[in-house]
Amino acid sequence: MKLSPQARSQLRRFRSLKRGYGSFLILVVLSCVALLAEFFVGNRALLVKYDGQLYLPVYGSIHPGTDFGLSYAYETDYRALKVAFAKEGKGNWLLMPPVPYGPNENCYPGVAFNPRPPDASSRHYLGTDQINRDILARLLYGLRNSLIFSFGFVVLVYLIGVAIGCAMGYFGGWFDLGMQRFIEIWSLIPFLLVVIIFRAALPQGTSFGLGLLLFVVVMFAWTGMTYYMRSATYREKSRDYVAAAQVLGAGPARVLFHHILPNILSILVTFLPFTCSAAIGSLTALDYLGFGLPPPMPSWGELLRQGTSNLDAPWIVASAFSALSLVLILITFVGEAIREAFDPKKFTIYR
Amino acid sequence: MKDTRILILASLAGTALLLGGCGKSSVDTATASAPADAAAKAKDAFPGLDADMQRTFKEEPNFYKFKTAADIPADTKGLTWEDSSGQASWADPAAKKGGTLTLAIGDFPGTLRSIGPNSNASFREFLSDYVLEALVRFNPAAPGKLEAELATSWAIDRPNKTVFFKLDPDAKWSDGVPFTTDDIVFSFYLFRTPLLNDPWLNDYFHKTFSSVTVYDAHTFSATLAEVRPDIVARIGDPDAAMPPFPKHFFKDFGPDWVATYNWRIMPTTGAYTIKEEDIKRTTSITLSHVKDWWAEKKPWAIGRYNPDRIRLSVIRDPDKAIEAFFHGDTDLYPSIQTQNWYTKFTDTQPTVASGFTVRSTFYNQIPPPDWGLWINTAKPPLDNLNVRLGIQYATNFALVCQQYFRGDATLQSTDNDGYGWDINPDVRPRPFDPAKAREYFTKAGFSQQGSDGILANAKGDRLTFTITTVYKRYQDVLVILKQEALKAGLEFNIEMLDETTGFQKEEEKRHDIDLGCFNRPVDMYPRYWETDSGDNAYDVPYLPDHSANPARKLKTSTNNLYSLADYDLDQVIKAYDKTETMDQVKELSSKAEKMFYDDAVWVNGWKIPFIRSAYRPWVKWPKDFSPMQTRDVDQFWVMWIDEDEKKADQALFDAGKTLPPQTIVYDKYKQQ
Repeated sequence: MKLSPQARSQLRRFRSLKRGYGSFLILVVLSCVALLAEFFVGNRALLVKYDGQLYLPVYGSIHPGTDFGLSYAYETDYRALKVAFAKEGKGNWLLMPPVPYGPNENCYPGVAFNPRPPDASSRHYLGTDQINRDILARLLYGLRNSLIFSFGFVVLVYLIGVAIGCAMGYFGGWFDLGMQRFIEIWSLIPFLLVVIIFRAALPQGTSFGLGLLLFVVVMFAWTGMTYYMRSATYREKSRDYVAAAQVLGAGPARVLFHHILPNILSILVTFLPFTCSAAIGSLTALDYLGFGLPPPMPSWGELLRQGTSNLDAPWIVASAFSALSLVLILITFVGEAIREAFDPKKFTIYR
Repeated sequence: MKDTRILILASLAGTALLLGGCGKSSVDTATASAPADAAAKAKDAFPGLDADMQRTFKEEPNFYKFKTAADIPADTKGLTWEDSSGQASWADPAAKKGGTLTLAIGDFPGTLRSIGPNSNASFREFLSDYVLEALVRFNPAAPGKLEAELATSWAIDRPNKTVFFKLDPDAKWSDGVPFTTDDIVFSFYLFRTPLLNDPWLNDYFHKTFSSVTVYDAHTFSATLAEVRPDIVARIGDPDAAMPPFPKHFFKDFGPDWVATYNWRIMPTTGAYTIKEEDIKRTTSITLSHVKDWWAEKKPWAIGRYNPDRIRLSVIRDPDKAIEAFFHGDTDLYPSIQTQNWYTKFTDTQPTVASGFTVRSTFYNQIPPPDWGLWINTAKPPLDNLNVRLGIQYATNFALVCQQYFRGDATLQSTDNDGYGWDINPDVRPRPFDPAKAREYFTKAGFSQQGSDGILANAKGDRLTFTITTVYKRYQDVLVILKQEALKAGLEFNIEMLDETTGFQKEEEKRHDIDLGCFNRPVDMYPRYWETDSGDNAYDVPYLPDHSANPARKLKTSTNNLYSLADYDLDQVIKAYDKTETMDQVKELSSKAEKMFYDDAVWVNGWKIPFIRSAYRPWVKWPKDFSPMQTRDVDQFWVMWIDEDEKKADQALFDAGKTLPPQTIVYDKYKQQ
């Protein structure tokens, strides 16, 4: 794709803003780590050599214990297997991720539940939560859920918000008036009440949790975007190039998406980071209150809630709080930088 | 902007919901059968309380009977009058009177009514359950024996299914009005009228009783539909029925009584009442000892109800309630959950170490709430016995007892533990055994293991069930069960609902599996009909040849959360509900328990054999702490405050000195 000269200069300017660009790079790295979390944190081995054969259990279907000469039909306990291999000394080996614990796994089976403080020797770098789960694992997989959620959130909110907002601005008249009133009423519906009703009325399984929650949150979040799109479209509509396109016979869809939208794209881009942080914030808040993801899905809100009720185990709340603040601050820095880079008044400094 | 709105709203509504979740863990909803149209009809033409009572008496001459003292058949038929004389007092006669005891409550009550809609909240124990006196009460220190309260004596006429009661002529309401049979008749009228808007009470008083007869101001009899071993308690014990209510207080009773009486303070026969000026909306309510209480010298009241005032302070957040207790804002923390006991009430906790907090463990003997998984057989494939058996072996409650409850809890041996005898020694919880679970799942056709380790059948249906619960505090238990069940190729999804939605879902039988319990009253013998009988599962459960009726419809709003309809079991339950002696009860309950076990619809959960509490050193208790059948430490008000010691201790703490730390175990009633 070839970028326009203007876009290139904006990009250049973004890269020259050290704080924002640096935050952006950190976020990209964090996202990559979260998306490939299984390679860094997890209870499945990365590589197993058993009886001369190589296994890659990280992704794909589970390997029952019987695959490695164990007696049980459920998923292999690779940490125990590693110990067993070392004991046998038959040349079988396996490689575990640096943090060998899964996010939902009870790391101390048969021992009382108790938050355990950070301990590098057992590779619980951030300690364990109140039911013996590794906090680092829950943070990382929780970050992944947050990222997936905010990605879905941004895509859906923009899709709905842009389409409806642009249409309102472009068509104006009764459509605009009607939609405005509708949005006003719609945004007055108490959001949390609807979340509770949805949670009660619809079946909730782990597999369905994220999608359902996304659907409900988006239902109430798309309205904010429409106002900006509407006014921007109004402004663009009166320009000559729109009239020219209309004279040439372009239909509303073509005018909107091919002519107007590229000219108001900067608004979308500027809002992007803030929409992301709003998504992460909402998910965390809902989880904190117990209306978010169904347990035991890893989530930051749930970890925060655990932390606040276990203040005697400060590492829980400290981890969750630092992680949340860090990510939100990084996103805000990126947002500031983008806003500045897209600012037409080149020499102002965004403070 | 929009996103802040989401957050603010979220936090507001979240608080509201937490409050709702603090209610009592009782699911006693039973069969609701108040016909709505009857209520509507009664509403249209309500002529006033007295007129309506008269009308009711006329309409139901076979239920309400008015006779004279001469008609008492006692002498003619040779009835033996029983009373509770000779039963040892179980409180401490040396208890000191006076002082204020401060407790935390989770929420300000929504009403001061103890009957009618929304009255079944946890605050009811301070309005009726633990403070209102009943006719008689099971003696909590002597299982099976009755203790007189408002009644002085009673006589059973078995052939006529009737019990006679003589009321205590000393008994008075707290406003000075004497307690008489007028109040008894009124109470029957009140609990039976659809205007009460309380389906459970209506139902109980319609089904249990067939008539009530008044002889004079202090003598009446009640006739029951069935003669059971606990016939007297079914009328008089507050856990079975409802204590009498004052007629003079309800003079404004009518179709809109619910709103009228929301904040009226009912006179009480008990030791504590609420004064208008002690209701501090949203922050606290204080109970005050009734002046010159009529029962002060009665044998059953000696040593009880000692503090002058009981201050109930609203602290909404459970963690904050613990902090407030350590800070000295409350004197008694009545029930410590296992997790808090090990993480918060530790030896190193400053107030524990300084002796300012006394910790105690009291072993009690009551039927424990039957925690466990309730499997709904109306949801295929849970109708398949092999699937249910597989679930039994795939559920690791043993680990929950050991790891979550740290060995404090044990598995329930049967569905009906705690009645004083082992119902059926052959019935024991099935162990956690993934291999055996897989065998049963294979028998049921679930033999192919998917890529995520979950079993599926030939049609591709995965072995996935949703466990519904309203007990958010046990979320971790479900997470453990879920992780363990994976070993058997079984997937549990967890659904945490708020109380209203959750109970509704269960009553409508829309759940797969429910984690929950029924709180059970102190009783002589278990009950099966409510939870296990086909009558409570389907409208027409069986065909004439006793096989399952394919056209049957689910019955909602019953306690049979299993939708269990087992014809043979039903026959046993029917016979059981007509038993008149304890020997018959034991024989048939053993049978019923085994059949219920073979149906594998209930996975044995946990029970905890003690109550843990913490209090200040000047809060004193009897030698054995509390009678053996104690459900809550504040149930019988046997504690007292030693004001002298309080002054001395407080001076000591103010001077920065400490007392020896105290951790007391009362294990007199411990069972092996």
